[in-house]
Amino acid sequence: MAPAQAAQSQPQSPSEIFLDAVSVAFGDRHALSRVSVTLNHRRIGVIGSNGSGKSTFARLLNGLVTPTSGTLRVSGLNPVTEAKEIRRRVGFIFSNPDAQIVMPTVAEDVAFTLRGRGYTRAEIAVRVTATLERYGLAAHADAPAHNLSGGQKQLLALSAILVGEPQILVADEPTALLDAANTRRIGNYLLDELPQQLVLVTHDLALAARCDHVLRFSEGRLVDQGHPAAVIDRYANAVEHG
Amino acid sequence: MIALYRPGTSLLHRTPAGLKVVLFMLVSLAITVAGSTPWALPLALVFVIVGYLLAGFGARELARQVFAVRWLVLFMLVAQIIFLPPLVAVGNAARVLAVVVLAALITLTTRIPALLDAIDRALRPLRRVGVNSAAVGLLLAMTITTIPVIAGFAATIREAQRARGAKLRLATFAVPLLVMSLKHSDDLADALAARGVE
Repeated sequence: MAPAQAAQSQPQSPSEIFLDAVSVAFGDRHALSRVSVTLNHRRIGVIGSNGSGKSTFARLLNGLVTPTSGTLRVSGLNPVTEAKEIRRRVGFIFSNPDAQIVMPTVAEDVAFTLRGRGYTRAEIAVRVTATLERYGLAAHADAPAHNLSGGQKQLLALSAILVGEPQILVADEPTALLDAANTRRIGNYLLDELPQQLVLVTHDLALAARCDHVLRFSEGRLVDQGHPAAVIDRYANAVEHG
Repeated sequence: MIALYRPGTSLLHRTPAGLKVVLFMLVSLAITVAGSTPWALPLALVFVIVGYLLAGFGARELARQVFAVRWLVLFMLVAQIIFLPPLVAVGNAARVLAVVVLAALITLTTRIPALLDAIDRALRPLRRVGVNSAAVGLLLAMTITTIPVIAGFAATIREAQRARGAKLRLATFAVPLLVMSLKHSDDLADALAARGVE
């Protein structure tokens, strides 16, 4: 096993995610309202209905969205003023893998993450090969990235992020466009094998139930958090009774 | 239409990306400037064939690349044949074809990161006048990546229209294509930002 690969397979200690009265507004619309929470769990699930604010919460962690007010720290860093470092430490995958492919072929797309990080071409090649082997994409290294299946594209998106060895992975509905088999494959990898801390935004309550801690958002507010089974049970009741 | 890298160990695969791009530019210039010179077209043809053989691809790959640009060449031919003598129109179309398949030969034998490095190095002196050389290279690579995505959007729109029994009309095709393309560019911008591209 390559050193980079071996380092990636060891479970890592979770970082602290700290929000104090964080609000986000887009014009007149309040996407998040005074969210306060401290998280240091390895597997954090985020649930809620469409438009509840869970994706905005996820985007805050990578600096894709900036707070209108409040205090936010991820691993002790401010995602607004230390955006470059945050993006190295916090990887982000989206629900649509097509929108994450930047380079024409599979290997080139994974290598793109390592550009400008001071690695030589040979070092990049070693890391890319190890990563593609790890995620079962080695046979497709020189294939056009857009010709992969949906599940393979999402694995490519994961590979392209994890080759950069982030401390935290934020996944915004990563299985939303996948079939049942690929949902299970990606879900199993994220929840059982990923050495990094995970923030998983999902509508799939079965995946959320496998997390260590679950947050529930509603209308831009953090309305519930705690043990997955209890939070999901209360959410199901709330949905049931309108 | 845009060829992607094929692994190999040929002389062309091993030639530095920058040198290949410079050679391509010189040959393209020669093909264009030589214009109506009688020997220019046969020479260009020989150059193209030798290039594909040197890269280890052979006639089949060359034929595939020619076939991929058939509509572009046909469009050029038809547009010119209205105004120019047929022989001149055929000559012009053949020159464009030669340049396009030579460009394909570069992308077939060069990994995009190597091409990005070459473009970055070549444009670095222009940084003094505000040109972001890395961004120019990235733009070119992303253009190559995005073309099949946009083509996929076009196919999806046509399927949706056929499913509803609608006839192909420019407005009902172009507007959703534009909207889907803009949405994709927004998503791609987020993905780039998330991967640390400023």
